[in-house]
Amino acid sequence: MNKVLLAPLDPVHDIGLKLMARSLSEAGYETVLLPPDLTAEEILEQAMRHNPSVLLLSRTLGYGVAETLARMVDLADAAGLRENMKIGVGGMAIRTELAAELGFDAGFGQGTTVEQVICFIEGREYQPTTNRSQKVKRNLTAGYDYAWNHARIEKKIDNITDQILDWTRHKTSPGVERAKLRESAWDVELWRARLGVGDFHRHYAPLCGELPRNFFSQGLLHPKTRRFSHDEVQKLEQYLVETKARMSVRSLQHKRKGPLIFNQYGTGCPFMDIGHILASEAWGADGVIHFDPSWGARTEGLLDGFLTHQEDGTVITPANLNRIFLALEPSTLWQVRAHRGLNTPETVVLAGKIGADLTKINLCYGSLAAGTDPARMTVDGVHSMRYAKQYNMPFDVVTNEELSGVPAHKAFAGMLIVAGLALKLGARPILQPLFACSPEVIIKDLMEDNYIDFNAAKVKALRSVINAPVWPGAPVGFLTHTEDRVQSAMTTALHACLAASLNVDAVSIASTDEAYSGGPISVPAKIDTLRAVQEGFRFFGQANIAPTAAAELWAEELIAGIEKTLAKVQDCGDFVAALHAGHLGSRQDGATPGRAGKDSVTAI
Amino acid sequence: MLQSLERVMDAVNAETLWVCKSEAEGRGLMLDIHKGFGFTDVDVVFAEFEGPGVRIRGPGLRTSPSRQILMARADGEVIP
Repeated sequence: MNKVLLAPLDPVHDIGLKLMARSLSEAGYETVLLPPDLTAEEILEQAMRHNPSVLLLSRTLGYGVAETLARMVDLADAAGLRENMKIGVGGMAIRTELAAELGFDAGFGQGTTVEQVICFIEGREYQPTTNRSQKVKRNLTAGYDYAWNHARIEKKIDNITDQILDWTRHKTSPGVERAKLRESAWDVELWRARLGVGDFHRHYAPLCGELPRNFFSQGLLHPKTRRFSHDEVQKLEQYLVETKARMSVRSLQHKRKGPLIFNQYGTGCPFMDIGHILASEAWGADGVIHFDPSWGARTEGLLDGFLTHQEDGTVITPANLNRIFLALEPSTLWQVRAHRGLNTPETVVLAGKIGADLTKINLCYGSLAAGTDPARMTVDGVHSMRYAKQYNMPFDVVTNEELSGVPAHKAFAGMLIVAGLALKLGARPILQPLFACSPEVIIKDLMEDNYIDFNAAKVKALRSVINAPVWPGAPVGFLTHTEDRVQSAMTTALHACLAASLNVDAVSIASTDEAYSGGPISVPAKIDTLRAVQEGFRFFGQANIAPTAAAELWAEELIAGIEKTLAKVQDCGDFVAALHAGHLGSRQDGATPGRAGKDSVTAI
Repeated sequence: MLQSLERVMDAVNAETLWVCKSEAEGRGLMLDIHKGFGFTDVDVVFAEFEGPGVRIRGPGLRTSPSRQILMARADGEVIP
């Protein structure tokens, strides 16, 4: 067994070396630890006496470090000690480049592991531990039975969802018809094998609006998109091969099992998205969310080809999704949002065929805050949920209509209707309360003292209604972020820690560029918040954040508001009419029934 | 542009405290430093002025395929 001499080359500091000596001793090495404040000559004298195979030095103080280390190397050389003894140096003041320049056998910077040092002692090449890569993909809905805990709310939702299913039973739309075609006539395996898709496009194009129709008939692209060149594709493939070879992923959760952390991508460029995704995975994101351009939701039909887009949002095409899918790490959950526009059901089908794990559907949000006609969104939403079940994709029910001013109890009533509908259709919904300083919060001073109570009240309220997974978003801390990256990372981390404390299943986080509207989100800004969340999770461990009594009170108010809202929708007897009437968010609240796809619902 | 900047994924964020008399002066200094690096697409994300100067962050953006779009030559069709 190798004997290791450890010596602090420092007047005071030796804590790191003490810990290393203990670890090496536990690993079975014979260790000799010298005290601080010895001269180089005294250390080498001890080396001659103990005759170790390895001398490990440490240095914490930064001043004079190069001179001190250089002198140590010179003296060891002059004494002929290096023929039988390797010398490594580590500590806060050590840069590995400096150690190499000075002639040490190894330099250990901050974050050095015992395993690295043992490899050096034994002359083995260090292979990073595979623990970082042992993440497994998790099912966010596992373990939930979706039992209703509130009989009156359950009854109302039962009545409302029956009405919706009855109303949509004999209705269709161009979006539904495209989804049917994509489902029945577009074979992903043949397409991946480049064996074509038969006459799919001949049937598909007539179901589309002007933009996709022009694309399929004349090859005209959206003016802010273009195809990648062969050269760019080759570079992407080379980049992926090289990066994957050295790729590993870290976990953020410390001792807890959750929540899983998602962030979104959508630079417009799938190549850049892949770069962002790989960085997010490497720094610990458990899942990523595809963000498409806003015009995509108002366009009847999807484009085709490997396309890059000049502005925010990456265009949904089979090739774009497929390239991104193929670049994902095996442990990464992939969500493709379908929720809000004219391509909702087809997006679910396409995402399911390509391999997405999750999607996003909320016909209330889509109708009231995302510009889609309520009747169209209702018909398309029901079909989307059927496809979500078929492709085994749980989906979150986003409630971002709160950002328009819709109070939480109305948004939650809508979310629970959609969840109830999904359950009747056999799908697996995930509740997505917004952790945000929303207009309602500002008007009612609900966060005057803290950001904890009202967000905690939301989770408490939902849990007292139904046993379902909860995934706050999107992103958490919405409207608490500023352009200051420290503040932005901090508020994201604290909201994520609150979510962890509430034992939710997942959290969507922003980058530190969240509040920056002047340009694209850059990848370091994504890493900022992942690191902040990791540090927050490390700080709290399994300790919890304690809301005040206000959380309980507000949870009760929310439940009462949900019930009252559901009563109005139920009494209206027509869900689409209820959306127009403002029962789930009115014009006074800030919600406006959308117009995209108006009058496009037809009877079968 | 420096060759090492070719390796930047998307942006170089410069973050510092300029000794200056106003936020506007600090913003100008940030744009100057990025232009010195050779960036043409530069911005200031955040600037906070207090007596000693301005705490500031600004990205210089590398041209990506999506941002290059209007200048692009259609030099090849690509299939998935």
